[in-house]
Amino acid sequence: MTGEEIIATVKAGLPDTIQDTALPQGDAVIFVAPDCLQKVAAFLKDDPSLKFDYLSDVSGVDYLIEEREPRFEAVYLLYSIDHSHSIRIRVGIEEENPSVPTVSELWKGALYPEQELFDMFGIHIEGHPRMERLIMPKDWVGHPLRKDYPLTTEPVAFSYNRDFKSELVKSKPPTR
Amino acid sequence: MSVTEQGLLERDKDTMTLNMGPQHPSTHGVFRVILEMDGEVVETAEPEIGYLHTGIEKTSENKRYVHVIPMTDRLDYLNPPGNNLAFCLATEKLLGVEIPERAQALRVIMCELARIASHLVWLGTHALDIGAMTVFLYCWREREMVLDLNEEISGVRMMTSYIRIGGVAKDATRPWLDGIRDFIDYFPAKVDEYESLLTKNPIWMDRTQGIGVFSREEAINWSLSGPALRASGVNWDIRKSRPYSGYEKYGFEVPVYQGGDIYDRYRVRVEEMRQSREIINQAIQKLPTGDYKTPDNKVSLPPRETLHTSMEALIHHFKLVSEGVSVPKGETYVPIEGPRGEVGFYIVSDGTNVPYRVKLRAPSFMAIPGMCQMMTGCYIADVVGIIGSIDIVMGEVDR
Amino acid sequence: MGLIEDAAERVGDEINNLKLNVQDSIEAMDHEYAGSLYDTILTTKLGKVVGWAQKNALWPATFGLACCAIEMMAMANSRWDAARFGAEVFRASPRQADLMIVSGRVSQKMAPILKQIYDQMPEPKWVMSMGACASCGGVFNNYSIVQGVDRVVPVDVYVPGCPPGPEALLYGLIKLQEKIMAEAGTDKAKKRVA
Repeated sequence: MTGEEIIATVKAGLPDTIQDTALPQGDAVIFVAPDCLQKVAAFLKDDPSLKFDYLSDVSGVDYLIEEREPRFEAVYLLYSIDHSHSIRIRVGIEEENPSVPTVSELWKGALYPEQELFDMFGIHIEGHPRMERLIMPKDWVGHPLRKDYPLTTEPVAFSYNRDFKSELVKSKPPTR
Repeated sequence: MSVTEQGLLERDKDTMTLNMGPQHPSTHGVFRVILEMDGEVVETAEPEIGYLHTGIEKTSENKRYVHVIPMTDRLDYLNPPGNNLAFCLATEKLLGVEIPERAQALRVIMCELARIASHLVWLGTHALDIGAMTVFLYCWREREMVLDLNEEISGVRMMTSYIRIGGVAKDATRPWLDGIRDFIDYFPAKVDEYESLLTKNPIWMDRTQGIGVFSREEAINWSLSGPALRASGVNWDIRKSRPYSGYEKYGFEVPVYQGGDIYDRYRVRVEEMRQSREIINQAIQKLPTGDYKTPDNKVSLPPRETLHTSMEALIHHFKLVSEGVSVPKGETYVPIEGPRGEVGFYIVSDGTNVPYRVKLRAPSFMAIPGMCQMMTGCYIADVVGIIGSIDIVMGEVDR
Repeated sequence: MGLIEDAAERVGDEINNLKLNVQDSIEAMDHEYAGSLYDTILTTKLGKVVGWAQKNALWPATFGLACCAIEMMAMANSRWDAARFGAEVFRASPRQADLMIVSGRVSQKMAPILKQIYDQMPEPKWVMSMGACASCGGVFNNYSIVQGVDRVVPVDVYVPGCPPGPEALLYGLIKLQEKIMAEAGTDKAKKRVA
């Protein structure tokens, strides 16, 4: 199925739940609100002409600098192995108490990327069996991939200036 | 109640907790798994990752598109050209650039060489984990030849950064092409040699057949990809199902086996090495002439010699070097078939020369929950075999 | 039989006799002096001999972190053959190793583990920092990477490169051997085992 056909089928099957659709470079993209994500996901998986049985990835985006409402977005990439077509679901998530329902009951492969979404963006996944940090240490503060999280707090340790000695070089533990 | 007493009470269950990793020779990097053992049988396997978290995605949001390419090399460090290609294809899709046929063929050759090199590392270490030392030494012997070819074309053994936005870094050289011809003549006999050591070896068969079995439905549901998916009977290869870089022009077969165990994953990968050699052979035979990068000077640097005569070329050169490529606003996702499965980049651009968001779809990362699912109910000795058969690379798991 | 053949045969016999005589005398000499080297006495510091032994039997721990680990494995393989320098015995347990090659980037999560593994290694021990990331953080100046492994453990040799080729790593190994030999018998070497 081409992108247009997929969007037409989804729109016909779920008339009121799809917020918007797009076709960037021919890829089918649908916009869904968090509270109807599970309904849309179940429809996409079960409908025989769509049959999106393979979840490829879940990514998060923080649109803080773009000043877009809502601030966060979770992007679900789905394939159908039999029909060999794909779709992207974009779910806008509010800044206050960001949360999105899990789809790991439909696709077990979503367990890890959803947990990563929590770790890196602080988006709570409702119904996820293990809502704790995945990649960062358990006691880490902050969510690194948010746009307001600094890339680094550490200055570069060398300088072209010969008499310049940064705090870093001074504070280095002595080697023997 | 003291801490020890509490610990003893918790120990009341009959299982033993066994920690494996992150420093363990058979976890292929710094993967850690906490095994709950009932005697010799694994009851649950709890993975723990993040020991190699490099922050590449965050760093990429602060670098220009061109500067992200060397970062992608260091994600899946056994398949640098594949990562370069996925990133460049995604950027080119947003830019809407056409890639010349010669550049596409050169990209295919590099990616297939990397697939062979990656599978050689996998075969060597996987066999070493299960106890076959010789295969390890043989595989690295051939891998060095691929690395020499990499060095010839790009100057680096591993992190080639050869594939660039709009084409490749430089044109193919004669020694490189001759080297590839020698290699593809030499290589098939060596694959037979590995197979003669393992495929019919009763120890190897006992250690791999019927272990870590995943059915077709399980493999799809747990988002396995690449050889692990094809060993479970799913005929899914991005090179066939959604071709990129002219893969539709090459005749090759996608090996699919039905067993879904370690042995079938081994057979899929060994057969893939032969097919990769076939693709390289065809690409070399009919290597198109023409440009090795797009003539669009807003995307790739103009030829060096035109800088002395053309004002426009000089301006393009200056703009590209000082500012880099500005990518139109939008978001896209492009998958490719890497040695471990689907490698894809999800890129969000805000119209500047720095990507707004770069997300790697890493096959090893997606496979880890499924891999730990496979471990439940198997023996402790098979855990290393299962880890080896999925072929995880921690660089792309933790990113 | 012609004259020429006859003469040639005689000369051949003569030469064979001479050869046998020489062989006999060499064997006699060998017999006489056999093992005489082992009777001689060499005066040196015990520390020097120990250092000489240590430098030729460095056992690295299998501590692969990232990309550099692949090149480290290449170094141990047949083409580069670290066995020439006595450093091919990679030990899975830090208790049996005396060289730690930090091969790759060290994340904030890995740093405590790296320190623990270093502490588990018996004295004397040496550390090689392999690659740009381990030496200074490399291109990854960000929140998750330790900017140089020398913040965590003392480093003896830094090997530059991204990743360094096996030949670079072997050169680093030779430099480490030179360092061990230069330190052998001095107070520095004493401090290492103290």
